[in-house]
Amino acid sequence: MSDDRNNNAGNVDDQVLQWVTYRLGDETYGINVMQVQEVLRYSEIAPVPGAPDYVLGIINLRGNVVTVIDTRARFGLPPEEVTDNTRVVIIESDEQVVGILVDSVAEVVYLKSSEIDSAPNVGTEESAKFIQGVSNRDGELLILVDLNKLLSDEEWDELSSL
Amino acid sequence: MSFDVDEDILQDFLVEAGEILEQLQEQLVELENNPEDKDLLNAIFRGYHTVKGGAGFLSLTELVEICHGAENVFDVMRNGQRSLTPELMDTILQATDVVVDMFEKVKMREPLEAADATLVETLHKLSNPETPGENIFGDTQEEAPVAEPEPVVEEETFELEEDTAATEDPAELIEDITEDEFEALLDELHGTGGAPGASATKAPAPAPTPTPAPTASSGGEEDITDDEFEALLDELHGKGQFGGEAAAPATPPPASPAPAAESAGDEEISDDEFEALLDQLHGQGKGPGVGAPKEDKPAEKPRVKVENTKPEPAKAEATAAKPAAKAPAPAKAESKPATPAKAAEPAAKKEEKKAAPTAPQPETTVRVDTRRLDQIMNMVGELVLVRNRLISLGISINDESMSKAIANLDVVTGDLQGAVMQTRMQPIKKVFGRFPRVVRDLARSLKKEITLELEGEETDLDKNLVEALADPLVHLVRNSVDHGIEMPDDRQAAGKPRMGKVKLSASQEGDHILLVIEDDGKGMDPDKLKDIAISRGVLDADAAARMSDVEAFNLIFAPGFSTKTEISDISGRGVGMDVVKTKINQLNGTVNIDSQLGRGTRLEIKVPLTLAILPTLMIVLGKQTFALPLGAVSEIINMDIKKTNTVDGQLTMIVRSKAIPLFFLGEWLIRGPKNIERDKGHVVVVQMGTKQVGFVVDALIGQEEVVIKPLDALLQGTPGMAGATITSDGGIALILDIPSLLKRYARKAIK
Repeated sequence: MSDDRNNNAGNVDDQVLQWVTYRLGDETYGINVMQVQEVLRYSEIAPVPGAPDYVLGIINLRGNVVTVIDTRARFGLPPEEVTDNTRVVIIESDEQVVGILVDSVAEVVYLKSSEIDSAPNVGTEESAKFIQGVSNRDGELLILVDLNKLLSDEEWDELSSL
Repeated sequence: MSFDVDEDILQDFLVEAGEILEQLQEQLVELENNPEDKDLLNAIFRGYHTVKGGAGFLSLTELVEICHGAENVFDVMRNGQRSLTPELMDTILQATDVVVDMFEKVKMREPLEAADATLVETLHKLSNPETPGENIFGDTQEEAPVAEPEPVVEEETFELEEDTAATEDPAELIEDITEDEFEALLDELHGTGGAPGASATKAPAPAPTPTPAPTASSGGEEDITDDEFEALLDELHGKGQFGGEAAAPATPPPASPAPAAESAGDEEISDDEFEALLDQLHGQGKGPGVGAPKEDKPAEKPRVKVENTKPEPAKAEATAAKPAAKAPAPAKAESKPATPAKAAEPAAKKEEKKAAPTAPQPETTVRVDTRRLDQIMNMVGELVLVRNRLISLGISINDESMSKAIANLDVVTGDLQGAVMQTRMQPIKKVFGRFPRVVRDLARSLKKEITLELEGEETDLDKNLVEALADPLVHLVRNSVDHGIEMPDDRQAAGKPRMGKVKLSASQEGDHILLVIEDDGKGMDPDKLKDIAISRGVLDADAAARMSDVEAFNLIFAPGFSTKTEISDISGRGVGMDVVKTKINQLNGTVNIDSQLGRGTRLEIKVPLTLAILPTLMIVLGKQTFALPLGAVSEIINMDIKKTNTVDGQLTMIVRSKAIPLFFLGEWLIRGPKNIERDKGHVVVVQMGTKQVGFVVDALIGQEEVVIKPLDALLQGTPGMAGATITSDGGIALILDIPSLLKRYARKAIK
């Protein structure tokens, strides 16, 4: 029994994942680096009339039209002014390319799977749905976002209920 | 049935058979009008045969059976042993429908069900000619078309031909030789390597000469069944294309690398030619040497034939009406025996397959996945956008050498864009092709007499459009036949010819395609239409009284409108025209209708040449740019608040003595504070069917051709938005979808 656990722990330890961290309000969030395509400076976002609230609009990404969503609205945080540090993180999930607007992008961190805990009850009910887990790093809590959830189900529900 | 065959082969079959089936529908109807047309009969025969071959290769036995039946019927017909009757035609069409059904099932990877036994039975009965025996000889000697007692058994066929050629000869002997030789030939083609030494009897097989011991082998050889034979041929051809190259050599389908086998399969081949081909196949290198001894003994019957062949291979070709198409083929075939080392049969097969498209086909074409074309189109779209940006940059920089370069780029991109668009173009024939059948079936079931005229079939338009237009057009044509054309007696009473006429034409008008469906039927009665509209609650009496005739005609496009009191399976449910209109609007097209009571109806459909590039009018609302499809814009006027009136809470303006509703687009589309200056801006008048609406915009940028970028999944279906595009300054503009925009916002405004 204990052997098993050790083995498991050993295997899991081998899995080192990289996470891109960004800040939103006072919290630090992480996204799996494999899902991040690129990080852009803030540029004019063309709003789309009639779109859901958390959709900020669309941008021109080298000839492709990419939707930008407001993670603040998604996580139930109050809106914030655009600053020099504001970034649009282009992420890819389920073959969808979407941009998310964040306050700033910090760094890429390496986390072992064993360092990731399941999500405590952080944030509001709604935001908790998008959390994959948390990690305590240097006394700071890193919230790992599950993008697939962020961009799936609820959106569709919301869109279809429009 | 199994689909574990190579997916590629299946795909090839689906594409090819799909095209053939489409053609068949058309050809069959044409045949009804020209029952004596030999070429047509041959073409149809070949069509079935090819489908059968492919199906056989994929072991779709159910499909093979029915195709086989149909093929046989056409075989007797083309040999003049049976004439075309309407009953026969119905059976054939029925069989074709079954084939199409099965084909669809294959497409869906569903298991096939065997065709109706009685249908197959009928086909079999129809494929029996009345006079076997005698006929054969007569026919063969006269001309190519060989009448054979059993068209199925192709092998036997040319046994018989051999017979006829060497009439006095002991038939068996020649027969055996032929088979023997043929076997050898097959072996060689298959590269089994066993050919030369397969058996003692076959030892001299590489030579075209009759083998010394044909009788010995005969027993074994004759065991081969026609099925087997067919299978072999199929394998050789990869796609079972042993139709009649001899009969219609110019047709593209005979893309077969194995002309010998092909011609062998062809009943119409003369023995001379067959021999010649064998010679060629057996390797011309060996030819002369073998030929010499043969000529030494012309007395021997079998060799006489060979001798005949030798001196006049040209004649052989000529008699069989086989032109140059054959010429490159022997070379190909020749190379095959030369490499018998490639023993493995499948390998040889594959090789042939690869060779297939290149062999006798004069045209060089490549099948390209449409997705790739779409990608290229997309990239060209990008290029156009970059060019647009450069142009607008160039204007501000004002440097001569730069503007020269940009002008160059402009021309090249324009050409490239045109060329890529051209590759996506398809003749509208693809859609038109199905109408003869549709009209024929309908006319028959409605007991009307109708001719269908097609015009401008070669007009090219975007592939997507061709597909998208198919359904609406079918619907409109059905309507013309069902509602438009009267019964023959009524027509006569009205002093018109009994035969009704439906005309379908396509032509290019600038950057639009104009499709016209015209009939000389009873036309539409605007008053009747109004009455119906009123009774259905689509319209009130006052509005109806003010309505012009053209507006009344357009009522048929209203949802839930049908002039038929009885619902038939053809039309009358009142959903069709509504759907047609929506569909065509989706394609940025328009429908116009005009009718004269008692004289006929004319429907005009206008669609853009392509869906990929959209001419738009760029407008500005607040700080944001939007694009309105230019097709809908009818005019632009200056906003003058003094000329507006409020009618029933709705702001209206008089434009060309018509009151049109005005909407402030900014109110709808711009978020945040709305400080719209109501007395400024421009009114863009857009046309939606017969209705006109005015949109007030802040500023106009101008006309621009844009590439539509669909909004991604998150935003798809956002009301009022057709997509987005990159503007020439690198910004982004939303393309408005006017009907859905009005649907979403105009109601709200009225509330």
